[in-house]
Amino acid sequence: MSSVAFRRLEKSYGSFQIVKGIDLDIADREFVVLVGPSGCGKSTTLRMLAGLEDISGGEILIGEKVVNRLPPRERDIAMVFQDYALYPHKTVFENMAFSLRVRRMPADEIKMRIAQTAEMLGIGQLLERRPGQLSGGQRQRVAMGRAIVRRPAVFLFDEPLSNLDAKLRGQVRGEIKRLHQTIGTTIIYVTHDQVEAMTLADRIVLLRAGEIEQVGTPDEIYNRPASMFVGGFIGSPAMNFCRAHIAGDAIRLDGGASFPVHGAAVGASTALDGREIVLGIRPEHFQIGGDGPSVSGIVQVVEPLGSDTLIHFSSGSATLTARVPPQLRPVPGETMTIGVDPTRIHLFDAASERALH
Amino acid sequence: MTAAASQKQGSAQAQSRNGGSLWLRVLDPGERTLALLLLAPTALLLALIIVYPVGRLIWTSVHTLSLTSGAPAVFSGLENYQLMLEDPVFWETTRNTVLITLITVPGALVVGLCLALMANLPFRAKWPVRLSLLIPWALPLSFAGLIFAWFFHSEYGVVNDVLRRIGLPGVIWFNSAGWAFAAICLTIIWKTSSFMALIILAGLQTIPRSLYEAADVDGAGRLRQFWEITLPLLRPSIVVALIFRTITALQTFDIPFTMTRGGPGTATATLAMYIHQNTVDFLDLGYGSALAVVMFALSMIVTALYLRMIRARG
Repeated sequence: MSSVAFRRLEKSYGSFQIVKGIDLDIADREFVVLVGPSGCGKSTTLRMLAGLEDISGGEILIGEKVVNRLPPRERDIAMVFQDYALYPHKTVFENMAFSLRVRRMPADEIKMRIAQTAEMLGIGQLLERRPGQLSGGQRQRVAMGRAIVRRPAVFLFDEPLSNLDAKLRGQVRGEIKRLHQTIGTTIIYVTHDQVEAMTLADRIVLLRAGEIEQVGTPDEIYNRPASMFVGGFIGSPAMNFCRAHIAGDAIRLDGGASFPVHGAAVGASTALDGREIVLGIRPEHFQIGGDGPSVSGIVQVVEPLGSDTLIHFSSGSATLTARVPPQLRPVPGETMTIGVDPTRIHLFDAASERALH
Repeated sequence: MTAAASQKQGSAQAQSRNGGSLWLRVLDPGERTLALLLLAPTALLLALIIVYPVGRLIWTSVHTLSLTSGAPAVFSGLENYQLMLEDPVFWETTRNTVLITLITVPGALVVGLCLALMANLPFRAKWPVRLSLLIPWALPLSFAGLIFAWFFHSEYGVVNDVLRRIGLPGVIWFNSAGWAFAAICLTIIWKTSSFMALIILAGLQTIPRSLYEAADVDGAGRLRQFWEITLPLLRPSIVVALIFRTITALQTFDIPFTMTRGGPGTATATLAMYIHQNTVDFLDLGYGSALAVVMFALSMIVTALYLRMIRARG
């Protein structure tokens, strides 16, 4: 068990800086998910922590120890790779035993540990098989088993679910969460999938172009996004954005609708009078009925999902998406008016794209 | 594939597993004709370039056919083979061929493996490395023989020059059976290890980098990674390289032919050279063919052994 810290962590390839000075403290036993779009530096950060990439600047600490120059084997970490990286010519047992044999652990103890781990992961009957004879989900579990059997201070997961189909992904996600609850070791998990980030993390670190955009619990990230980027990245379907400006104590959408400025949304609205802003509304925060503010638009596409319905409609120059109860089925082409929960809107500065809290 | 088709294939597999008939028999007549038509061009080509020459070779080997006498071929049964067993030159050339194979194949494998491992290092400019691997392979065998004949020349050769510079006496390479044999083996290893290296390099590049990263994280050092990851995963490439190399080693001709002409005496003569001598120099096609059949059989046995090795472990 161990804490992890990054101090002004940097990585450059030639003149191209991919990680631009990350500062982060990860507590012992915490489950932290690094999430962001492709090329944001999340995998590179994880690989630097593992010791698989040199760092260009800053410090990495595992526990109290600076590990910048230590080879991977001296960092007491275990890693689950995106392609699992199981040794194809070794059986499941041999794959799991490899790191223990390298450490000259007695054969009896190796057997005992593998038996325990295999039972925990439900792969006991696969121990004599080779990776080529396993399904994707089984391989994934073996890859986790190989990491767990080591009992490392920190687990690193590099997009471990991206090679699984959607159904299996959901199932294994649950298993990973349960695993963390059982063994309680620090986990650092990289993904580009916001659902994985939201469901697994104690804390999410959202990266963009090599910098931290926001760090927070899933609730904080969802309810109080620090920027338009975070608002748009977390949540599915994505947050709607419409250009607006503040006029007195009201927010006027460019499409014509108007909202009262809600205290929670903007603290010092008077100081913002006349300012160009962007209004963010999550699809699930539209509401049917009520006497609050509303927007009107022309229905374009209706997507019934069973549990609820997505309505895409145009309002002024913006195209918005609303998530509504399944019984509501407007017809494309008709004009509709839909309410907005004024306490759940997000305001961003149009120029900096940062949130106005 | 339709359900009916897959059922058909399934029953065909079941039949062949039970030692039953060819799968062609279960096809309906129309499909059978089509299958035969599609197979015909390949079958004809193979018949023309493999079955006919091999058949003709075996036919000639059981006949007395010497172009110097001008007489027509006369069936002589196993007489040529009988003659062969009593022929000391046959035994010496066969022994030389097997020795060359046993020395140069593992030699080229070890050198080729080292070259491949070096060529696989992350060089900034890869092409000079790859090119230097390709050149010995691309060079005609007889050129290599001629070049190395000069290298090993007792007075003007670079090898003796180096030996003398470091205070050792020069060697008259081609006057002694042992030194001549050593010179030929060194030349063959130089000439063929680049081919081994190319095949092994191709194999090395199919090993995912993440396996080495996993091994790094697992705590394995470079040597252990080589023994436990690289070498086992290279096995298929190594076996392929060994098959090709062993068969060509059994047919060794050009290098001893250009370097020593088989001398001194017949100390470095190979079976292929002896076949050449009997058929081309003496025009004794019957005896030459019998010798060639033996070489063919040797190659087939070696290939079968390698293939069995792949299947047993695969």
